Amino acid sequence: MADSQLLIPLHVSYIKSLGESKDDLAYHMTAHLRMNAIYWGLTALCIMGHKDALDRAEMIDFVMSCWDDEAGAFGAHPDHDAHILSTLSAIQILVTHDALDKVDVDRVAKFILSLQQPSGVFAGDSWGEIDTRFSYIAVNALSLLGRLSELDVEKTVAYFRQCRNFDGGFGATAGAESHSAQVFVCVAALAILDRLDEVDSDALGWWLCERQLPNGGLNGRPEKLEDVCYSFWVLSSLSILNKITWIDAEKLTKFILSAQDPEQGGIADRPGDMVDVFHTQFGVAALSLLGYPGLVDLDPVYCMPADIIERMGLRKGWKALDRRSV
Amino acid sequence: MAIEEEQSILFAERPEWADVTPLAQYENINPVAPIFYTNEYKDAADYFRGIVNAGEMSPRVLELTEKIIRMNPAHYSAWQYRYKTLMALKSPLDVELHLMDEIAVKYLKTYQVWHHRRLIVTQTRNPGPELAFIAKSLQADTKNYHTWSYRQWILAYFNDDELWDAELPFVEEMLENDLRNNSAWHHRFFVVFQAGVRKGDEDRDEVIRRELGFVKQSISVAPNNASAWNYLRGILDHNGTPYSDLQTFVNPYSVPHTLEETAEGVVDLENPLPSKESHLPAVAAIEFMADIYEKEGGDSLMKATELWKSLANEHDTIRKKYWEYRIREACQKVTT
Repeated sequence: MADSQLLIPLHVSYIKSLGESKDDLAYHMTAHLRMNAIYWGLTALCIMGHKDALDRAEMIDFVMSCWDDEAGAFGAHPDHDAHILSTLSAIQILVTHDALDKVDVDRVAKFILSLQQPSGVFAGDSWGEIDTRFSYIAVNALSLLGRLSELDVEKTVAYFRQCRNFDGGFGATAGAESHSAQVFVCVAALAILDRLDEVDSDALGWWLCERQLPNGGLNGRPEKLEDVCYSFWVLSSLSILNKITWIDAEKLTKFILSAQDPEQGGIADRPGDMVDVFHTQFGVAALSLLGYPGLVDLDPVYCMPADIIERMGLRKGWKALDRRSV
Repeated sequence: MAIEEEQSILFAERPEWADVTPLAQYENINPVAPIFYTNEYKDAADYFRGIVNAGEMSPRVLELTEKIIRMNPAHYSAWQYRYKTLMALKSPLDVELHLMDEIAVKYLKTYQVWHHRRLIVTQTRNPGPELAFIAKSLQADTKNYHTWSYRQWILAYFNDDELWDAELPFVEEMLENDLRNNSAWHHRFFVVFQAGVRKGDEDRDEVIRRELGFVKQSISVAPNNASAWNYLRGILDHNGTPYSDLQTFVNPYSVPHTLEETAEGVVDLENPLPSKESHLPAVAAIEFMADIYEKEGGDSLMKATELWKSLANEHDTIRKKYWEYRIREACQKVTT
């Protein structure tokens, strides 16, 4: 039964098959996501204990082929312009593969810092789209690169403060509605900056656990549908606030498992829908935080294997559920 | 030749594009993620790379980027270059917005569509029609996050009194269509409490009374609407009003339907009763009453604990651990 067990071998082969996709149209349409997709696939494999399922050298070569020498950062695909989204994914992939030495850290740090706006928020690139996601990315990336000291922390935090809403949640831009994914990026960034004092932990913790629906799944905001990826955004936020027990773990686990494709592998946004690597990664990540047996520990702040973050001295005070033995 | 036919011919086959050198996708290495293209997309993408490489910014670039965007609305380089070209050509931006009206409706969930509009309207400095466009696109997708946050940005950026004044009626219409639209409730809070004090709203007490009246009415119609209860708490928190002020109103919602409700009598406008068809007790009302008792402290903590127990064991079992946390916290207050 799809909802009783995590079908690890199937998911591993699903992720491996993505590099050989015959579905031409869908594949090329997502070229702008390629770097992100590789990070999602790699992280999911790590958490499932199959880090070596994709070739390390090939992956590093691909990442480096996306270097935009004009901008001094990474694009999503060879000869795509650099963007903060793909730059973080590139760094995360290289850190995971212990190949950060290949990066011109000075130039990347400069690229990231140059994207900070007067209001404190970060843009994605020179086109100027702003979003607290990009602020989180900047903080995460600078932290992994060891350059967090170059960031104007007060200025960065000030914008998060502007995005804090009456319900204790956070939005994408000042004045925008609270949304689980935006809550994650703000809370995780504040955790890295040691500024969780900006969060009303009780109010936000309650708002987050209110995302759980009777079917066990989590939604992004009140009166919206459940989606497997919110399992991660909500759960990681709660673990950072040390309130992960406020979610009914058994029901959520069942929900995530029921969204698996028992034939070709992969996890979808909800049971019965098409799978994709994004939901596969966040489903597995959530299960790891829920203590699902046999999985590797995930650091919810960086959304990377916990031991790697720990070794870099970057672990913050989050708490996941204990790993069950069965 | 009909426009549709013309657009299905590859750029490589069109004589007026012969002067451009198309650049193929970088394929020098064997990537982990190989790309396969349809001919049409590959053709357009190749010519886009050629144009960018040559630094060309001409009307035909607008045609090319439009084609790419229609096939792949998340291709942010195409959007970026299109914007630069529009600026270089000093193209009529109202025409651009009109074209974008059509594309936005098709591709409501991509970030790029909205950011492009933001850039354009920053140039045109004409936000009025944008609000009308946003209202229209919200009809198709009433909770679209990008659309609502774009509206919030326009209001804050232009900060025009006339625009602000029209917002409350707009939000009320959205809520009339769907009382459970959390985006609309959020927008209401933004407009009423986070946009400064506007003409006519100087009496803040009157504003609070009005908002409390509105949210109480909404709760009476749909007592199990989380957004309305969050809004109520938001008003009270923002203005430092004790929750106990609302005790008379909330109490009937925290218990099953009673005979008193159905009795004929004077209707208390300050405390509208739950609609007859509604499911009671409302979980949010029980929570609210528990918060009141907890604040009272002393003997009332027992009452709060009873309510939390009823939530943990009966009314909101999925959040059992949370309600047990509240009980523990309260017990600690008693013992310290």
